Amino acid sequence: MTEQRELLPTATGRQAVAALRALLRPRRWLAAAGLFVLTAATAVGLAVAPLLGHVVDLVTTGAPASAITTPVVALAVIAVLSGAATAYGLTLIARLGEGALAELRERFLNRALRLPLGQVERAGSGDLTSRAGNDLNAVASVVRSGLPELARSLLAIGLTLAGLAVLDWRFMAAALLAAPVQLYTVWWYGGRALPLYARQRIAVGAQQQQLLETIGGAPTVRALRRREEHLGRVTGRSQDAVDLTMRGVNLVTRFYARLNLAEFIGLSAVLATGFLLVRSGEVTIGAATAAALYFHNLFTPVNIALGLIDDVQAATAALVRIVGVADLPEPAAPPAARTPADASLHADAVSHSYTADRPVLHDVTIAVPAGQRVALVGASGAGKSTLAGLVAGVHQPTSGSIRVGGVGIGDLDPSGRRAVALITQEVYVFAGTLAEDLRLARPDATDAELTAALERVGAAEWATALPEGLSTVVGEGGHRLTAAQAQQLALARLVLADPAVAVLDEATAEAGSAGARVLEASVAAALHGRTGLLVAHRLTQAALADRVVVLDEGRIVESGSHDELRETPDGRYAELWRAWSGRRDADRAA
Amino acid sequence: MPQLTGGRVLREALRGQAGRITGSALLSTGHQAGEAMVPVVIGVVVDRAVGTGSSSQLLLWLGVLGAVFLTLSFSFRFGARLGERAAEQAGHVLRVRLTDRVLDACGGADTGRLPGALASVATSDAGRVGMVALVLPLGVAGILGLAVGAVALLRVSLPLGLLVLLGTPLMMGLAHLLGRPLQRRSEVEQDRIAHTAGLAADMVGGLRVLKGIGAERAAAERYRLSSRAALTATVHAARAKSWHDGTLLAVNGLFLAVVALVGGRLAADGAISIGALIAAVGMAQYLIGPLSMLVWVNGELAQGRGSAVRIAEVLASPAAVGGDAPLTGPITGRLAVRGLTHGGLRDLDLDVTAGQLVGVVTADPAHAEALVDLLGREREPDSGTITLDGHDLSTLDPEAVRAALLVAAHDAELFEGTLRDNVLAPAADGSTVPRQRTAPATLTGQADTAADGPLTAAPAASGTDSLLGAALAASGADEVAATLAGGVDGALAERGRSLSGGQRQRVALARALAADAPVLVLHEPTTAVDAVTELRIVNGVRRLREGRTTVVITTSPALLAAADTVHFVADGALTASGTHEQLVREHTGYRATVLA
Ligand SMILES: Nc1ncnc2c1ncn2[C@@H]1O[C@H](COP(=O)(O)OP(=O)(O)OP(=O)(O)O)[C@@H](O)[C@H]1O
Ligand SMILES: [Mg+2]
Repeated sequence: MTEQRELLPTATGRQAVAALRALLRPRRWLAAAGLFVLTAATAVGLAVAPLLGHVVDLVTTGAPASAITTPVVALAVIAVLSGAATAYGLTLIARLGEGALAELRERFLNRALRLPLGQVERAGSGDLTSRAGNDLNAVASVVRSGLPELARSLLAIGLTLAGLAVLDWRFMAAALLAAPVQLYTVWWYGGRALPLYARQRIAVGAQQQQLLETIGGAPTVRALRRREEHLGRVTGRSQDAVDLTMRGVNLVTRFYARLNLAEFIGLSAVLATGFLLVRSGEVTIGAATAAALYFHNLFTPVNIALGLIDDVQAATAALVRIVGVADLPEPAAPPAARTPADASLHADAVSHSYTADRPVLHDVTIAVPAGQRVALVGASGAGKSTLAGLVAGVHQPTSGSIRVGGVGIGDLDPSGRRAVALITQEVYVFAGTLAEDLRLARPDATDAELTAALERVGAAEWATALPEGLSTVVGEGGHRLTAAQAQQLALARLVLADPAVAVLDEATAEAGSAGARVLEASVAAALHGRTGLLVAHRLTQAALADRVVVLDEGRIVESGSHDELRETPDGRYAELWRAWSGRRDADRAA
Repeated sequence: MPQLTGGRVLREALRGQAGRITGSALLSTGHQAGEAMVPVVIGVVVDRAVGTGSSSQLLLWLGVLGAVFLTLSFSFRFGARLGERAAEQAGHVLRVRLTDRVLDACGGADTGRLPGALASVATSDAGRVGMVALVLPLGVAGILGLAVGAVALLRVSLPLGLLVLLGTPLMMGLAHLLGRPLQRRSEVEQDRIAHTAGLAADMVGGLRVLKGIGAERAAAERYRLSSRAALTATVHAARAKSWHDGTLLAVNGLFLAVVALVGGRLAADGAISIGALIAAVGMAQYLIGPLSMLVWVNGELAQGRGSAVRIAEVLASPAAVGGDAPLTGPITGRLAVRGLTHGGLRDLDLDVTAGQLVGVVTADPAHAEALVDLLGREREPDSGTITLDGHDLSTLDPEAVRAALLVAAHDAELFEGTLRDNVLAPAADGSTVPRQRTAPATLTGQADTAADGPLTAAPAASGTDSLLGAALAASGADEVAATLAGGVDGALAERGRSLSGGQRQRVALARALAADAPVLVLHEPTTAVDAVTELRIVNGVRRLREGRTTVVITTSPALLAAADTVHFVADGALTASGTHEQLVREHTGYRATVLA
């Protein structure tokens, strides 16, 4: 939890409400139908208490035992009716909730995937991951179990109060004596719980991130014997989450204690009212009994409804994190989407800083004519990967512009073919079948096209040897690919995406020299017919390029052909080349 | 640890919270009993006060009602707190225990398991086992609550009491039977929902790669399809559940009608009082509560058992490596590999002379990985031995081996924190493993003689600072410190993401050097840096490690040229040895491998 971490935005309460309203508006008829059916079900169910009261009255007035049969049959009919109506109403409400939920999660992911990478990384990977996981789940569980319960409980409460009023308005007045305590309790709780839940969600996210870091780095921790340190970190984060949860529990239990008080006040008041009204002969004992049973039956729905406030608070803390991302304003659409005239690449006076006042690129200008290949070399930390990311549109430059075929990359038609693609040494295999992974690059590709792409990068051999060929499940939980295979898969995706410009950042570095040679052949095949910008420390790649650009401390210091630069006395490239080839030349000569 | 079963994990977790669980069970029972008493007291109030018009009776029984509420409220409050604390703490203890097992020097827990899956065992499964500590008292309370209700009811009327007591579970069983086929179907559909959730996490994880090829839209579309399929599934599942709930409601209502019928007739015949009738009806409603709670408790117990099994599997994973012999005395750093067969290595023999810088080149990168795993004691060899100063590594305590022989893997991770904390383990770890002297002046000398016993004292601050400085300079990571806002105290993002590739690699190398181990094994330490920086690193490492054994597993000519001896491994066996120059001159296979 460093100070520099800058979490992704969360929505304000108002924004969240607006988002909910937008989700519900197209479903309002479903909502109305669901509420109507549930209201009917609850209303029918409310006849139970007076019928029981009627039984009591029959008994007190000394009616024959057979007279009881009629109200009992009515009770049975009501049971079946209210059961069926409840089931149907709940189905409708579930369709409402699930539909809205699906739309919400789709909107969230759609927006999340288009967030600027810099923003996601500044927030830490755990932030977005825990929103996509924990937070969506928290909202879903409230929608799934909470929403129907809430609807039923609120209806039960409203209609029970109405039922009390029908018996005698004074019963309802007595019952309402509980309301001030309940309302105060809700107000008291809401103010305290919301901030607590927000903190707890962050703590759980931090715990998750620490676990992933420690477990993912377990071999490193073992090798360096830093077990105690990491155990301490995990323990600390876990204990923080536990402590915050316990503070929430303390709050919740105090919340329920206050609700118990309200129950007692209301029940005593209803009983006392019944006592007085029966004594003055205004209602029967049966009516007083019905009133008391009504109120007793209110305990459960009231507790459920108010208890759901707790779940709703937790879900709200999650919802604002989802809506915060889902409703981020879209970047301004290009005024007139244009298609590039050719496959040339231009970077004009590009500057960039990750953190304010620490620029890492200064006024970098590069032109790559269509179809040519430029190698970007320079010391480690010079800014090569930064430039590669900017060119590929993964980051936005602080200033300057990048154009493909004369069109600024912000003005490219976003739905058209990808103009620039970037492959780095970071490999990732998506969970799913090999074919699904490849089709991320071109969704409408046929199996033959997939195979052709694999073949082109030299991956066909191992791919067809997989247990189920293209249908083999790879990625998390599936068949494990080696680093070199995963990199070839990335190159096959590049072939399928078929961009005019390909940017490769150390795409062969991970494989070591021997593996690099195989990958270099794959790279050459994948790049065929494209404009290429290659970042490489292996200068064999630079030697093959049409031009070499040398970056140093964020500035271009040299540019020219490999042969020219190699001959420049005291040149940066000449120095790099000497260092790189010195051994090799000496060795070859040997 | 023989026979660590899920049952044992569960029992141990509960035993650790025995006090809280007992307290919670007692208090929750008080709460349930109170809830059961409420309808009974309502009946009494109607009987003795409303029916008779006696104010004193009204006040008396309302007082009793107040006492009942006070009891149930307080017992709930403190019972729930104890239960939740037990659950959270039990989950926490398991989480820490799992982490401890994963980090165990003998390894094995993370073999064949993905970090995401392990993290989920440490969070979800640990939490579910913890939940058992919460639900167990509730289960006890539910049963006792039933008993209290039963006694109260049987005292009121034997036949009516029996009807309610036997009828309620029967009714619940019936509803359960009716709902079963529906629920079974819904379980299948749960999978589809889980898949969608997993897909979202996976895509966010691969965000960088998605963006690189502009596949954001395709990915969003794939997710949308999966989400739609999940929607169909959840609506199906919800419909099944709704009809199950509706059935339960109907059955419950029918049962109530039966109770009213029987109770009403008994009351009409004068066999029981009105109050008894009301209590019976109220109780028929109340009993649903504890009974459905028992059903829920049962479900949680089943889930908890399932989770405990998964936890036990991780905790009981066979150790990847063994050995417990201590490594005492000075370490000269002589390594000998004999007949080593593992992951492509076949009968490999190799000698590393103490104090030398030795290069190892493998024609196949996978063989290098295998060797790194074996030297780092991540795996036991299929056959053959590696000895350090004549001690077979397999017999030694892995922790002691790593203190003497540090393997810096190529894919080592950086951690969130400052540069300094990454390079030097934060102090005060109380480590008793043999440590080298730390002053840089002695770093270059014959350091072996100093490491003749466990040193417990933490190195002096100035010592660690110069150690840090020396390691940073030798690895070229001093340049990294210079670019950070806080210098060596500048913060790195998680996994060092805020650094360039080559900067990350240099920091990892600095960390390996700063550990100051008698034997250091470096695996491809310079793949991400430029050639000039590489030369600087070669010289730095050579100078800093002077006189101590250093093995570099690499194909980089710059590193190999600096080595005293180079071993070339082709087809998994030692093929040639000599200096880099000799091998380049005399061995075509070697030339092809390193001069690519
Ligand atoms: N996400 C980030 N946040 C802050 N600073 C960064 C980030 N990424 C890179 N930097 C800094 O920007 C500078 C340039 O980094 P870049 O990754 O572009 O270097 P590079 O030329 O690719 O180096 P290498 O050859 O080591 O990969 C470095 O000083 C680095 O520390
Ligand atoms: Mg880079």
